Amino acid sequence: MSHSAWVRAIAIAAFSLCLGVVVLGAYVRLSDAGLGCPDWPGCYGHLTPAGAAADERTASAPTAGRPLEIGKAWREMLHRYTAGTLGALIICLTALGLAWRRERIVPAWFVTALLAIVLLQGTLGMLTVTRLLKPLFVSLHLLFGFTTLSLLWWLVLTLRQPHRGARSDLPVRGMAGARRLALLGLIAISLQIALGGWTSSNYAATACPDVPTCQGRWWPQADFRAAFMPWQAVRADPQLNYEGGVLDNPARTAIHLSHRFGALVASLALLAAAIAGLRLGGPAAPAALGLLLLLALQLVIGVSMVLRGFPLWLATAHNAGAALLLLATLALNRSLWPRSAPVTLTG
Amino acid sequence: MSQPNVHALAASASWRDYFELTKPRVVALIVLTAVVGTLLAARGLPPLDALIFGNLGIALAAASAAAINHVLDRRIDARMARTRTRPLPTGHLAPAQALAFALLLGVISMVILVAFVNVLTAALTFASLIVYAVVYTVWLKRATPQNIVIGGAAGAAPPVLGWVAVTNHIDPQALLLFLIIFAWTPPHFWALAIARRHDYAKADIPMLPVTHGVEFTRLHVLLYTVLLSVITLLPYMTGMSGLIYLAAAVLLNGRFLWHAIALKFAPRDEQPMRMFRFSITYLMWLFLALLLDHYLPTTLS
Repeated sequence: MSHSAWVRAIAIAAFSLCLGVVVLGAYVRLSDAGLGCPDWPGCYGHLTPAGAAADERTASAPTAGRPLEIGKAWREMLHRYTAGTLGALIICLTALGLAWRRERIVPAWFVTALLAIVLLQGTLGMLTVTRLLKPLFVSLHLLFGFTTLSLLWWLVLTLRQPHRGARSDLPVRGMAGARRLALLGLIAISLQIALGGWTSSNYAATACPDVPTCQGRWWPQADFRAAFMPWQAVRADPQLNYEGGVLDNPARTAIHLSHRFGALVASLALLAAAIAGLRLGGPAAPAALGLLLLLALQLVIGVSMVLRGFPLWLATAHNAGAALLLLATLALNRSLWPRSAPVTLTG
Repeated sequence: MSQPNVHALAASASWRDYFELTKPRVVALIVLTAVVGTLLAARGLPPLDALIFGNLGIALAAASAAAINHVLDRRIDARMARTRTRPLPTGHLAPAQALAFALLLGVISMVILVAFVNVLTAALTFASLIVYAVVYTVWLKRATPQNIVIGGAAGAAPPVLGWVAVTNHIDPQALLLFLIIFAWTPPHFWALAIARRHDYAKADIPMLPVTHGVEFTRLHVLLYTVLLSVITLLPYMTGMSGLIYLAAAVLLNGRFLWHAIALKFAPRDEQPMRMFRFSITYLMWLFLALLLDHYLPTTLS
């Protein structure tokens, strides 16, 4: 295998694993298993929950006063170990990219940034546990997970075999507009994912048990000021456990409403981007079509979640849908830019 | 439909000509959706008078609207290959005969609905008839490429009419059925309009493929099909229907989307007509699935 084929294979493996880790992470959060192991990096001081369960000290003097729940502990440790494996893969990717930098398979800055983000992501994973699920850390942990996924996806898309034959770089009619709309769509979906993470980490989903109204009203009592004070929880009592959320109901309602309004805005932005891509045709069309179908699916999942009383599998699917929607938006953006920048594939 | 008019000049009106005037296959689909509306409106079997007289009245009104459409469109029909053999362009029936027949059907329909069902059903049915036979045919159809989108409201009314025949008021769930047909009409009709665009151009009707081109229409068909896929999941999402309906809707939507994608990205000459034919199968099975889901044991759902 050529060097570039190795890099490509590792990038594809890391991307696939990363998608699994992201959704598994969401499952851990949504099944309230985030503190399944209240210490870090071990689980009740052991390598596995099985080891912790066999240790009689776990029962007599549990870490942080939390008795071991074996199912939650396994979910949390599975997430940590798969994420650790992903970290190792990305370290390999960065090392190879830097070692073979003369071949210009991937730019050195790209793989260095990827590694830096993964290290930061590991730290945020630790803080999520040790700082007892403060929404700021949980949300940042989600966002950097999505960032890692996005960078790996961009790498996979870019490392695809280059198109044969000369590609004309002449401006296509509608290209500039499509690029603008695709970029706007990317910004919109990113903000909407951040709002979704904020909704989940503040346990605000159930604040509105109905749709399209909330608590039977179009404009229920909502406290937007208290809803978005990310530093407050961090500065407050470090021993305060955030599991289940601490905000009062109007603040949670405000968060939920923001995510709904965001859904409207993001949907319109992505719809515009998808239509622009479909009208442009060529390599943009499949990405635009995928984006359109995933947008429809994600809206269905989002509304169904509320109507069906927030079942765990739908909530997890909502996270997976967000990830896929982000990937489709990135693919659309990628298809609108020439193959040469910013990463080139040689030999 | 009817026999080819080999002896067209014989000009003697038969019951077949009157029958064809009612667009029996379109009316059949309309009545199917209306019957489903009637059946879904009630737990178990709905009152028999609503079921029988309600749907009979709706069917007669639809037939009346179809006959009026034949009269008003007879000049256009004569210019299009698809409609050239209709009873009026061939001279089998005189416009006055057809109009009298339409009025008769309409009056019988109203009498049945007012006498045996309820006034709200009669009023809504009458409104739908006017929207289709007059507003759409006389004005919308020739005025804007959005003709079938707006006029689709008349075609989407039957399940609501069937529903109101039982409940005597308009429920959100009935409007959901309305919404399904409303979103279904554009991809259904535009697939046909792409196939018949030369006919429409010849007859000076501003159908979307004529005014904005085939490519633009294909895009809109695709977008409406995606929208339809979302809307047809609403009955499950709102808890109105269960898993049987969900499974059917997912399968039918997958197939319909496949047709729309093929139309957009791999257009072959026969694809528009194939999609058009499937759109009818689609709506039929979707409504039958609603029905099946309504009557099969709820433990499955």
